[in-house]
Amino acid sequence: MLRTVKPKTARSKRALEKRAPKAVENPKKALFLRGTSCSQVTQDALGDLYALRQVHAKRFQKKNAIHPFEDASSLAFFSEKNDCSLLLFGSSNKKRPHTITFARTFDYKILDMLELCLDGESFRSISQFKTNKVPVGTRPLMVFAGTAFESPVPNGFTMAKSMLIDFFRGETSDKIDVEGLRFVVVVTADEPTSAENSDDPSSKAVLRLRIYTIHTKRSGQKLPRVELEEHGPRIDFRIGRIQEPDEAMLKEAMRKAKTNEERTKKNISTDIMGDKLGRIHMGKLDLSQLQTRKMKGLKRERDVLSGDEADTVVDEAPKRKKADI
Amino acid sequence: MSTETKTPKLTVTVTKPTPYTFDLGLLLANDPNPLSLPSTTGPNLESALYTVARDGTQSLINQLLTTLPISSTPAGVLLSLPSSVTPLPREKPVPQPKPETKWSAFAKRRGIKPKTREQRRNLQLNAETGEHERKWGYKGANKSGQDEAIIEIKHNSRKELERKEGTSIRGDKRREIRERVKRNERRMRRNERNAGEGRK
Repeated sequence: MLRTVKPKTARSKRALEKRAPKAVENPKKALFLRGTSCSQVTQDALGDLYALRQVHAKRFQKKNAIHPFEDASSLAFFSEKNDCSLLLFGSSNKKRPHTITFARTFDYKILDMLELCLDGESFRSISQFKTNKVPVGTRPLMVFAGTAFESPVPNGFTMAKSMLIDFFRGETSDKIDVEGLRFVVVVTADEPTSAENSDDPSSKAVLRLRIYTIHTKRSGQKLPRVELEEHGPRIDFRIGRIQEPDEAMLKEAMRKAKTNEERTKKNISTDIMGDKLGRIHMGKLDLSQLQTRKMKGLKRERDVLSGDEADTVVDEAPKRKKADI
Repeated sequence: MSTETKTPKLTVTVTKPTPYTFDLGLLLANDPNPLSLPSTTGPNLESALYTVARDGTQSLINQLLTTLPISSTPAGVLLSLPSSVTPLPREKPVPQPKPETKWSAFAKRRGIKPKTREQRRNLQLNAETGEHERKWGYKGANKSGQDEAIIEIKHNSRKELERKEGTSIRGDKRREIRERVKRNERRMRRNERNAGEGRK
């Protein structure tokens, strides 16, 4: 673990503040790194994903002798050192050719990991498509198609979906230029088959990642007609090993910071005229203190403390009533 | 699957047995319909994937343009996105609120606000002389009356009765200030200690 330092200069203080936990978080940075052996296909795929993730990404060139599913401590170390919470580790060996391991961290500890095995034959890199490339930092649209993603129980597909959303989400903003809707990431999952549970990786369902640029045509109606052109990369994945998140850690990671956003208040509504209406609780009216008409005959003797107030009984007002605020 | 036909008027609607679900904050569309993709890779598969992608994108763009408020600015036509609903894990824990010190609790109770820039300035107007003077430091107002040639001593006052051995009225003010500073530092340390305990 890195030692925690107390900042001595204003500059280091700013740097530490930048990576401190925040209510509204910074965009997640992705770290791309490779194992001791990493096939050209995997390297190309990592390079293409790096290009798509630019600005919020960091890439290591040197080899790292890491086996994420055996010991992920160095991934956690790199995460802390570089303040990256999304790690993509590329490796390739005989048993698992062309694999990219997606790992997410929470508080610089590994939250979950997912191994995706690339299909080396169907892989096409960005440079193999002759389309205009989208500018750096453009937010993609995302489409996830297939019943596998809708699974109510967490499995490889839902995890892959969550990971890929996290990967392609980039910097979120509350406003977007219509011109900025330039490209779309489409992930389709094959229908899960009965052979799903067998160990043979080739029988597992495939995730197909396709990235298209969007062209809009005038349709004569208000909405444009959308046409797509493949942008690359074209990657087919099979889901390999999975490390599920620790339940307590996941719960902590899913917590939402309290925001100043106004909560909907109970019993307040607005009518069609735009007037604010509220229903309030009046409490019980104390009618014993009610001032009635003063008459000599009704006057009570000073020293008599009888509860003889039958003449002051008034119809009790309704407890709840609508009142304008 | 899709209802598109190459009529002169291009179709912009997409109809599916199960409707799409959207998370517009993330520009995300989910297509829960079962797919029937060819099992072999090749142009057939790519065209099938293209149809799925086109339909999904079309409906997502339709949803974006019809449901979200649009504002035209000199910078361009902007869509206001809602906040996302898909649960995604945070990268760092939710920040803990700083523990309240004794002073901040007291200040809150009394409604004491932090000092303004003007209050923090080391300059004030002396109403008697009509001139500006320093509040503290060299010739500070807090030292006034300390270096007078003659100072009256009230022999029966509590101060004189409880006076420590070896001290006189000379330098009393200075001693008081030092003591206040020390007391404040003690409190500061205690607050820090308590805050450290509370966090663990």
